[in-house]
Amino acid sequence: MSLTRADRLGGHAAIAGIGATEFSKDSGRSELKLAVEAVHAALDDAGLCPQDVDGLVTFTMDTSPEITVAQAAGIGELSFFSRVHYGGGAACATVQQAALAVATGVAEVVVCYRAFNERSQHRFGAGMTDRQPSAEGAAMGWTMPYGLVTPASWVALHAQRYLHAYGLTPDALGPVAVADRRHAATNPAAYFHGRPITLADHAASRWIVEPLRLLDCCQETDGGQALVVTSAERARDLRRRPAVITAAAQGAGRNQEAMTSFYRDDLTGLPEMGVVARQLWRTSGLGPGDIDTAVLYDHFTPFVLMQLEEFGFCGRGEAAGFAADGGLELGGRLPVNTHGGQLGEAYLHGMNGIAEAVRQLRGSSVNQVPDPEYVLVTAGTGVPTSGLVLGRG
Amino acid sequence: MELQEYAGRPAATGGRAPDPVNAPMIRHWCEAMGDANPAYSGPDAVAPPAMLQAWTMAGLGFSGNGNGNGNGSAARPGRSSDYDDLLARLDAEGFRSVVATDCEQDYLRPLRPGQRVLFDAEIESVSGRKRTALGVGHFVTTRMDLRAYDEAAGEKPEEAVRVARHRFRILKFQPGEAEPKPDGGSGTEPPLRPRPVVNRDNEGFWDGVAAGELRFQRCAECGVPRFPWLPGCNACGSSAWTAEAASGEGTVYSHVVVHHPLPAAFRAGGPYAVALVELAEGVRIVSNVVGLPPDGVRIGLPVRLSFERCDDELTLPLFRPATADDLPPLRIPVTRTLIVAGAIASRDYQDVHHDAELARAKGAPDIFMNILTSNGLVGRYVTDWAGPKAVLTGLAVRLGVPAHPGDELTFTGRVTERVTERDHDRLTVAVTGRTRRGAHVTATVRLNVPVPVPRPVPAQENPVPEGPA
Repeated sequence: MSLTRADRLGGHAAIAGIGATEFSKDSGRSELKLAVEAVHAALDDAGLCPQDVDGLVTFTMDTSPEITVAQAAGIGELSFFSRVHYGGGAACATVQQAALAVATGVAEVVVCYRAFNERSQHRFGAGMTDRQPSAEGAAMGWTMPYGLVTPASWVALHAQRYLHAYGLTPDALGPVAVADRRHAATNPAAYFHGRPITLADHAASRWIVEPLRLLDCCQETDGGQALVVTSAERARDLRRRPAVITAAAQGAGRNQEAMTSFYRDDLTGLPEMGVVARQLWRTSGLGPGDIDTAVLYDHFTPFVLMQLEEFGFCGRGEAAGFAADGGLELGGRLPVNTHGGQLGEAYLHGMNGIAEAVRQLRGSSVNQVPDPEYVLVTAGTGVPTSGLVLGRG
Repeated sequence: MELQEYAGRPAATGGRAPDPVNAPMIRHWCEAMGDANPAYSGPDAVAPPAMLQAWTMAGLGFSGNGNGNGNGSAARPGRSSDYDDLLARLDAEGFRSVVATDCEQDYLRPLRPGQRVLFDAEIESVSGRKRTALGVGHFVTTRMDLRAYDEAAGEKPEEAVRVARHRFRILKFQPGEAEPKPDGGSGTEPPLRPRPVVNRDNEGFWDGVAAGELRFQRCAECGVPRFPWLPGCNACGSSAWTAEAASGEGTVYSHVVVHHPLPAAFRAGGPYAVALVELAEGVRIVSNVVGLPPDGVRIGLPVRLSFERCDDELTLPLFRPATADDLPPLRIPVTRTLIVAGAIASRDYQDVHHDAELARAKGAPDIFMNILTSNGLVGRYVTDWAGPKAVLTGLAVRLGVPAHPGDELTFTGRVTERVTERDHDRLTVAVTGRTRRGAHVTATVRLNVPVPVPRPVPAQENPVPEGPA
C-alpha cells in the first residue's frame, strides 16, 4: 500500500543548475565523456565547481558509474551516491534521491546525470533477444519468444486496449505528436528544430507496431543531461533562480512489471503514475488547475494521453478530446513538453524534460509560458516511475 | 527492344500436349505426391487438378538446362520465337538461373484420361531489374489458356473446350548478388525465435508445454489464479500453489501488429500479430495468434490454444481463431526422393531439382522442390481434408523459402470463405506450408464441396505423429 498522507520533502531542496551536451545521432565520444561534459555544464550553470559536489545520482541503466564520473570530472570524496532502476522511470526519482539527501543533510550538492549513445551504440528500439534467468529476466521471457521485444510493442499492446475502450482510432494520438513537434520546431537545441508536422503527416507515417506509427515514437539520441540539486536556501545564493522541489514522488502499482504489466487491471491507465500523482498533489497541496505547464514523459504518444487522465487534467477517456485542437500546444489548455519532448527535442530518458521545467520557471524557455508558478514533470511511463512538481524559487 | 516490350507477345502458339491425359502419368504423379485420393483412379478417374502443368511440360529434350540439349536451340513444341528471344536475352545478360515464384490456376473443367490438351500462352509482363534474396534478376509472367478435346472418343481438335487458365511467374536471375542481410540472416541456419527464459520459478510452465499443456498457477490459500508464474500470491502472499492445465479457450484482450523492426526469426514472414489472450480461467498470456492475417486479429476474437513447433528446440503455446475452420496440420518430410520423384512425375527436368552438384553450381545449397510439386502437395493437403467428392476450382501459389532435402514441410490451412450453394459449398482455403526457415508456400485454394460438408477439426485435437526427419 502506498503512502496516504503528505510527505515532508517539499520545499527543502531546489534544482540550481542544468547542463547538457548537444543532442545528436552520433556523439563521436564515449558515454562517460558525455556524462562528464553534462555534469560540468550543469555545475557551470549553477555557479559551482566540481569540488563543491558531495553526491551523485544516476540510473542503474547508466554505464558511467558515479565514482568514475567523479574521477573524470574532478569531483573528490563523495558522501552520497545512489542509482535508480527501471529505465526512464528513474528520471524524476534521481532528483528525489538528491532532495532526500540534501533535506536530511546527508549531502549538500548532488548532481543527477544521465548520458548515453543511445542512437550510435545501444539502440533500445532494436529489441531484446535474450535475458538471464533471473526474476527480472524471466519476466521478459514471457513475451520475447512471441516477438514482443521492443518498447514500442509493449506500449502498443496497452494502447490498443485504451483506444478500444474509448472507441478511438490511432489518429487520436496525432495531436500529441503535433504539439511536441510544433514546440521542437522553435527550439534550436531540438533535433527536429524547424520541422513541425501536421495531423496528416502523423496519419500518413508508417506503422512501427500497430496501433503506433513512426510519428508516435520518440527519437533515439546520443547525449547527456545533468541537474544540480542543493538546499533551497543555498540555491537562492547561486547564479540562477532556483526551481524549488515542491514535491517529488515514486510509484509502482500492484502487480507491477518492469515494462510488461499486461496481467492486471484493464490496461487503460497507468496505475503507477496514479500513485505518483496522488502523492504529488497531497504533498504540494496543489491540483491540476495549479499547473501552468507540464513535461509529460513521451517516449510514445499514447501514454501522454493516459497521464493527463491519471493526473486529473481530464476525466477517464477524455484525454484525446483534451489534446485535440491544440490543447497541449503553447497557448492551449495545458502546454505540454514546450522543449519539444522526446519526440521533438531528444530522448534523454526524461532528464532533458526536467531541465525544460527549470527553464520555464526561470523564464528562459524558447517556448515560454507566461509567468509560470508550478510545473509538473513526469518520468518513464509503463514502468515503475516518478514525478516532480517544481515551483518558482 | 526493351525487355518490357515483350509484354503482350505470344509465349506459345498452337501448343499441343505431348501425351494425352493418361492413367499411368496420373498414377506416377499421385505416388510422388503421396496423394491417395480415389477420385484420381478407376473408371471415372479425373486428373488431379494441381497436376495441370505436367501435361504441357515439354520434357527432357527441352529442359533448358543450358547444357546443350535445348534452351531454345531445339524446336520446342508451341513455344514462340519471342519467348525464346526473351529468355536468350536474359541468359546473355547474365540472368542464367531460373526459379518459379508464383502460379495461379483456374480449373474450369476436370481433365479426364483420353483428353488431349492444347494451349496458347502470352508474355504478360517482364519486370524491371529487381534485387531479390536470390540475386538480381527479372520476373517474367506468362498467361496460358488451356483447351482439351476427347481424342480417345474421336473428337477433333476444333472441338476442344477451355479447361483451365494458368498464370506463371519465374525469376530469371544471376545468383550470388543477393542483398547482404543486415544481421544474422546470411548463414544457412535460420534465425530462431528468442528463447524462453526458464528458471526455478517458472520451469513448471515449460514442463507443461513439453507435455502439451498450458499450465497456470492457482493459490492454494485464496484460490486466485495467476499468470505469469511466481513463487507467491499477490492477492494474499501465500507461497502455496497448485498448477492447473488451461482448457485452451480464450479471447483476445489486446493485440498489436509488429512491422518494424522485424526480429530476425520473423523477417521471412513479414508483419506478425502478437496478442494478449485472456484465458477462460481468467488469466492472461502473451502469445501469437496465427491462422489468419495479422490485421484480422481483433479484441474479443475467440481463440483456441494450439501448440506449434517453431524450430527443432522450441514449441510454443500459440492461438488460432476458435471459430475458424482449421484444417488439421500435415507434416511431410522433404526427402531427396520426394523432390526428384515430384519433379520427374511433373515432367520437370530442370537440373536444380535432381542434381545436387549442378544445383550448387547455380548458387543453391542443394536440390530444391519444384513448384509443380509444391502445387501438388497443396492440392493433396486440401483434398485429403475435404474428401474425394471435393472439386478443386482454383489454386494460387506463391513460393517463399526453398524446400531442400532434410527439411520438413508443415502444412496448415484455414477456411477463409464459405458460400453455400444449392448442392455444394464454395470454399476458399488459405494454406501455408512452412519449413523451419519460413514459409515455403503460401496458397489460396478454391474448391466446391458437395453438402454435407466435412466438419472442421480443431488442430490440437488431432496431434500429428512426428514424422521421420
